[in-house]
Amino acid sequence: MAVDNDREFKKEVLRLAGPDVLTCMQCGTCSASCPTAHLMDNSIRKLIKLVLEGKKEEALRSNSVWLCTSCQLCTVRCPRGIRPKAVVGALREICEREGRRSNDQAYEDLFLQQIRDCGRVSETKLSGEYLLANPMSAVQAMELGLELAPRGKISIEKERVKRPGEVKKIFQELSK
Amino acid sequence: MTKLAYYPGCVSKSTGKEMDISTRAVSAALGIELEELEDWNCCGATHLPNEMVSTGLAARNMAQTDLPIMTSCSICYSNLRSAVSRMEEPSVRARVNAALAKPYQGAQVKHVLEVVLDELQKDPDKIVVPLKDLKVAPYYGCLLTRPKGGIDRPEFPTILEKLIKTVNADPVDFRLKTFCCGGPIFMPQEEAAADIAHKILIEAKQSGAEVIVTLCPLCHLMLDAKQKSLELKYGAAIGIPVLYVTQLVGIALGLGPDDLGLNRNCVSPMPLLEKIYEKMAGEA
Repeated sequence: MAVDNDREFKKEVLRLAGPDVLTCMQCGTCSASCPTAHLMDNSIRKLIKLVLEGKKEEALRSNSVWLCTSCQLCTVRCPRGIRPKAVVGALREICEREGRRSNDQAYEDLFLQQIRDCGRVSETKLSGEYLLANPMSAVQAMELGLELAPRGKISIEKERVKRPGEVKKIFQELSK
Repeated sequence: MTKLAYYPGCVSKSTGKEMDISTRAVSAALGIELEELEDWNCCGATHLPNEMVSTGLAARNMAQTDLPIMTSCSICYSNLRSAVSRMEEPSVRARVNAALAKPYQGAQVKHVLEVVLDELQKDPDKIVVPLKDLKVAPYYGCLLTRPKGGIDRPEFPTILEKLIKTVNADPVDFRLKTFCCGGPIFMPQEEAAADIAHKILIEAKQSGAEVIVTLCPLCHLMLDAKQKSLELKYGAAIGIPVLYVTQLVGIALGLGPDDLGLNRNCVSPMPLLEKIYEKMAGEA
């Protein structure tokens, strides 16, 4: 679904993350629980406020969308039973649909592409492809490679399910 | 003999090989027969924002067996569990099942931690290597207990300490035991993730632990495979081995380093193992 304006944006986030988001009382428990809150331009509490105010651009441009580690601590603690992680997920999905570019988006896209195509993720292939998208990740990839390779933990095999068509169908039918 | 379906997950083929090796070895030693899911797919880990697709991927896995499904990965475990609860909603189940080749008809999902704990409590005589006085940092990470409603409380869980005590080791008081390792964002957000993982390692050292035990291959990667680069980055040695829970239990069951893939851990647990064996020889 295209999200062309702010009102549609809010509606789409609520559709993806659940209407409970409307009950947010801005208590900030989510932000206080977040392991990366100190690095965020808009904390999770603020991010939810931006969504409720329909401020699409500000919400989608927040670095918090990509600093969320999916740890779900906010989600288990929210006194309103909102799942802030699902709000972040909704924003990531909208970024993906709109083809917004960032390193984070590139990583997410490569990860999803592998599942869509093969049904499984091959970690070595993923790191290699990400390296092409973001050459700045070379040092980290090399450091990790030096640790993992001698221990037989790098596999160049491309992992694949036996029936990739079944996985493709799940993406086609359920991502609408 | 207990028979379970086994969902190894994608990392079992690469960075988490020792998780898979030790899971199979410990299961065999405990008399649990594992039947690998016939055509398992990725659960989407933490990179699949669409909850319906995530539910569909999990349901496809779960529809492949009538047995309870065991996994050693907290991320897979959390995703399967979330899907089970979403599939309780009839409209979700109908929509997801329409996209599946074989319909999902309910499933029971287990983490290897609870399976192993159950078996050891039934038959404590299987523990042949005493780990007495071994100081272990119980590191839960996030997703074993999240979302809530799983095998333990999301705040202050104790099931891992229970297992550590069952193998006669000492769980240390570890404040950051449920603090996120930063793993899910470590590729694109390197700095943020490194900072978190480093905090956890330092806290484990300060708590007096000789070893950290993990339940998730991503936590393991952050604390073990990245430990050397974190030492360089922050300019201080850490040198604490990080074992999968199945490796710790395997040692207590008398399994050898090859059985448990101990040579694959980046921070070598061999000095620790020698110490354990020496102590046992001394007491014998």
